[in-house]
Amino acid sequence: MMIEALIGVTLLSAFVVMLAPDRVAGKLAAGLSLLPVAGSLWMFGQFDGSGNALFESGTLAFETMTRWITIGPYTLNWHVGIDGISMPLVVLSTILTTLAIMSAWTPIDERESQFYALMLFMEASLLGVFTALDFFVWFVFWEFVLVPMYFLIGIWGGPRRKYAAIKFFVYTNVASLVMFIGFMALVFGLDVNTMDMPAIAQAIEAGAFTTTYGLGEETLKVVAFFAMFFGFAVKVPTVPLHTWLPDAHVQAPTPASVMLAGVLLKMGTYALLRFNFTMLPGVASDYAVLIAALAVVSVIYGAMLALAQQDLKRIVAYSSVSSMGYVILGLVAYNVYGLGGATFQMVAHGLISGLMFMCVGVIYNTAHTRMVGDLSGIADKMPVTAAVFVAAAFGYMGLPLMAGFAGELFIFLGGFSAEFAYAQLFTALAMFGIVIVAGYLLFAMQRVLFGPFSADTDYDIVPASTHDTVPIVTLVLLVIVLGTVPELFYGMIQDAVTPMVDAMASAVAPVFGGELL
Amino acid sequence: MAGALDFTPAIPLLPFASFLVALLAGYFAPKLLPKGGAIPGIVATAGSLVLSVWTFFAVSQGDYLSETLYTWVVGQDTFSLHFGVLVDPLAAMMLVIVSLVAFLVHVFSLGYMNDEGETGLPRYYAGLGLFTFSMLAFVVADNLLMAFMFFELVGLCSYLLIGFHFREQGPPSAAKKAFLVTRFGDYFFLIGVVAVFATFGTARFVATGDGAHAFPHMAEQALAAAGGEGTMPGPVADFLDVVGMSAQNWFSVVGLLVLGGVVGKSAQFPLHTWLPDAMEGPTPVSALIHAATMVAAGVYLVARMYGFYALLPTVLAIIALVGGFTALFAATMGVVKDELKQVLAYSTISQYGYMMLGLGTGGYIAATFHLMTHAFFKALLFLGAGSVIIAMHHNEDMWDMGGLREKMPVTYYTFLSGSLALAGIVPFAGFWSKDEILYEALIYGAGESPILLVAYAMGLLAVFFTGFYTFRMVFLTFHGDARSETAKDPHGVGWNVKFPLVVLGILAATVGLVNMTPVAKFTGAHIEFLKDWLAGTEGTAFSNLGYEHYHHLLVDFAGYGAADIAPYVPAAISLALALGGAGLAWVLYNVDEPVEHTEKLGGAKTVLYNNYYQDEYQVWLAEGVTLPLARAADAFDQGVVDGVVNGISSVSLFSGSRIRRIQSGVVSHYAAMLTLGLVALLVVFGVTGGWF
Repeated sequence: MMIEALIGVTLLSAFVVMLAPDRVAGKLAAGLSLLPVAGSLWMFGQFDGSGNALFESGTLAFETMTRWITIGPYTLNWHVGIDGISMPLVVLSTILTTLAIMSAWTPIDERESQFYALMLFMEASLLGVFTALDFFVWFVFWEFVLVPMYFLIGIWGGPRRKYAAIKFFVYTNVASLVMFIGFMALVFGLDVNTMDMPAIAQAIEAGAFTTTYGLGEETLKVVAFFAMFFGFAVKVPTVPLHTWLPDAHVQAPTPASVMLAGVLLKMGTYALLRFNFTMLPGVASDYAVLIAALAVVSVIYGAMLALAQQDLKRIVAYSSVSSMGYVILGLVAYNVYGLGGATFQMVAHGLISGLMFMCVGVIYNTAHTRMVGDLSGIADKMPVTAAVFVAAAFGYMGLPLMAGFAGELFIFLGGFSAEFAYAQLFTALAMFGIVIVAGYLLFAMQRVLFGPFSADTDYDIVPASTHDTVPIVTLVLLVIVLGTVPELFYGMIQDAVTPMVDAMASAVAPVFGGELL
Repeated sequence: MAGALDFTPAIPLLPFASFLVALLAGYFAPKLLPKGGAIPGIVATAGSLVLSVWTFFAVSQGDYLSETLYTWVVGQDTFSLHFGVLVDPLAAMMLVIVSLVAFLVHVFSLGYMNDEGETGLPRYYAGLGLFTFSMLAFVVADNLLMAFMFFELVGLCSYLLIGFHFREQGPPSAAKKAFLVTRFGDYFFLIGVVAVFATFGTARFVATGDGAHAFPHMAEQALAAAGGEGTMPGPVADFLDVVGMSAQNWFSVVGLLVLGGVVGKSAQFPLHTWLPDAMEGPTPVSALIHAATMVAAGVYLVARMYGFYALLPTVLAIIALVGGFTALFAATMGVVKDELKQVLAYSTISQYGYMMLGLGTGGYIAATFHLMTHAFFKALLFLGAGSVIIAMHHNEDMWDMGGLREKMPVTYYTFLSGSLALAGIVPFAGFWSKDEILYEALIYGAGESPILLVAYAMGLLAVFFTGFYTFRMVFLTFHGDARSETAKDPHGVGWNVKFPLVVLGILAATVGLVNMTPVAKFTGAHIEFLKDWLAGTEGTAFSNLGYEHYHHLLVDFAGYGAADIAPYVPAAISLALALGGAGLAWVLYNVDEPVEHTEKLGGAKTVLYNNYYQDEYQVWLAEGVTLPLARAADAFDQGVVDGVVNGISSVSLFSGSRIRRIQSGVVSHYAAMLTLGLVALLVVFGVTGGWF
């Protein structure tokens, strides 16, 4: 019942905050959001799951499964549970929400109670996405997440907030629809009478198809795979489906950006891992080269786009496209370091991109501009913020002993040992991202933080208040802890992805013995 | 009783503690921090030095160490990643060098930073502490991944310290460049690390008892197997199948990839451009970077995994040629510089070129010897330059100096000692080590590998330039008449400046005596102490890290064979060249009122002043190629990729607005449409159903 309690408390907090007066809403929301933090950390401590949630061999932690409703021949269950892949993401969601709420205290000055209520509502939905194991339940949460984000952008956003909010909503919703159709086509073809994800995964593995609509089993799998891939790739986002992201980020208020980059994007890669790569590993392996090429393009092209930007927030937004490309590369590598690294990178990038957005937000709160050309040498006026910004930027560049390095290294180790054709070449190309990221972040830092002080703005540049610096310092420390002791999460992650690798090894012979040069 | 090696992990951890103290106390309680963090730093590095010396003695008793300290990632069905300590003679020697130089730099900083009233001292000392920690941890790393991680941290620290004066325009830019250029090299290094794991399943330098393997040894086995002896280790054979290359070729690729990091950090051509700019950092930091930490890290890494490189003749030849070329190339640029620290910067690039030359030509002993002597005399020269800069009120232009010899004798004589060592004048330290490098290049070049003679020729020619620019610098700074008001009445320096200078001055004069190869050959006396030190003991796991083993690999795998040439004539030639260069400088610049003389170089002068346009083309690559490419990508993204997305929405909106017109609300229209629709349906059914 822990998961229900976690989601329930968060949802209840959302309602309480919504009814609270604006004046106290921020503090109240932060305080209440500590409950799910405590809950998730307690669950982390008590975590006793093993293996992968979708495999018969897997044991879930905090599992609940009760019959909920019946539609025709299909039974829908309330099925939630946590394995080594979802546990770190649950912890990430709760911690990041609290810190994002704190980072909202300064910039959000109207309709506060609604703002914080939506943040908490979003957290509850996110926790649902990462714990649900029945497709119906999962899909409901998946769509629920969009609603608060739509309002957060549309109400508290920048000048073009309506455009950004609608684009975000329509784009991701259309993607969800395609994904939904693809998945349903698969389920209706299978001999199952439930929407239970483990049951579906096992049925696909057993090849229990009753109909394939005249397409043939393999074709159906491929169609479903790409329908789902499209749906999730928009969320990640993967080039060329990424253009909603910079608009959403630039218009969104900073705390919403933190949630968007920190957790919402991970829904996409999490779903790719759970659905595409766990349920249809054969297709993933057949099309590995194509997917790896997409990953490499995302990494390099995303980084090049970041290099061209002048708005700090756009820089960070595009660099997310780049970093999430690594996750795709890790997934397609399909070995322990690849899949494990991809999952680890989700958490690491969640913390680091959240941190970067917060740092940009702290600067924006006082300077009211984010343009690189408008600011210079603000380290002189905002020493702590600048120090954290430097730490965050180096974290983003993958400095060893910070979380980003661990995630990227695992992915590179996995990618280089992967068995699809030209895996080494693809990995080496993607790794060039670490040079470009250093380029744009170092340039941005040199111009904004260092040099003689000047600010082309009507506002005084003053040091950030303590409640602005506490979240960013906390995040830096978390990033360092996770980079120094990756086993905290990586142990359970490995435990959950190893069965996938084993299943792949027994099912699919390593077909591609391609030559490198 | 606990042995010295039980305390080895404390050697890097002590400076880390001083980093934490300076950082935390500097923020929360600056008043409690004595001397802005200098005292904790000095105490910590002194502690490291004592422990390093103790470790050194323990190693001299044959007590080596290879131990896993912390498993970073426990691999499931795959390899694990760990941090470990490896202490062998090479590491022990480097520990002493690094901790000694770091200690002296901390002491010197009291005079250079504290006495000069700098702000942000806790930040400075925190950076120094972290820098020392990273380098010491890099030195004791027992595997390539750990080495890479601390290599990167060394890069971070150089960024923080070069950009220490962040309120000015130059230092942040120089810091950015240093990190970016070395990051470019580290990109290749990281691929190399990943490739080593993928190929061998381990990145250990040495195999210890518990069934672990070492990748250089596995490479050796694989190459032997490819040559028909023994069997190839399973993982290596599998991976070679995947990449479809022969063992020799693939290992060469891996070796070159790792070398990318070395070229970046050790400022070898073409990634040397960051180093002269890095002079923007405070002078003690330059001393640390050039003598004992960042730049030394690259060369040390090659020495650390020499068991791998010694197998690969192609890579060795490339190392030798890059090194020889860099040595000559940088030395020529040093000839025309006007600023004291700039001359030293180019001399650093050139000297590390010599070390690479030594490593590439099989002169493992010679290169590590030069790494050691250079650490001392270059630290000395930078600290001496720092002393001059204090005296000159932070003016670094040599044309404003002159005549400082009488005003600051301690600085002068110690600086002179360092200069004699740098120029390679007998019996100062640099002579012995540089001469040995050239000698090794000559005998192996004249023996089985003639390509090395090219590298040798470049290295030899560079000796002349080195002698010239070194003494040009000495004469312009210290001799002749004072050419400015400050030079007439320089600022005095305290004990904290003189003490490090004296220590290093003595070392620069004497440390070469530990390996006097020509003298040993001449007298037959057994005085090549460094060679004995690095020879390696037979019969232990560590014998694979000794020179004896490397020599055997060079001969068996790389096909190196030495020609029988006595060392006296080559030594005499290089000494004559050094003296010739110094003599020319004497003639031109050791006068009361020296003039530039650079016009005599004609067109070459402009090229040299502009450093062969190396900066220009690299800036062009960044700003003339990459940035426009990024802008083009951005335009493409906004226009085409997002254009399609917006296009789809426009199409739906447009068609929606058109289709809406059908809903006119007029009943007769609806009736007409119903009828037309029915007719259309009938026609369709008719055609497909074959009614007609």
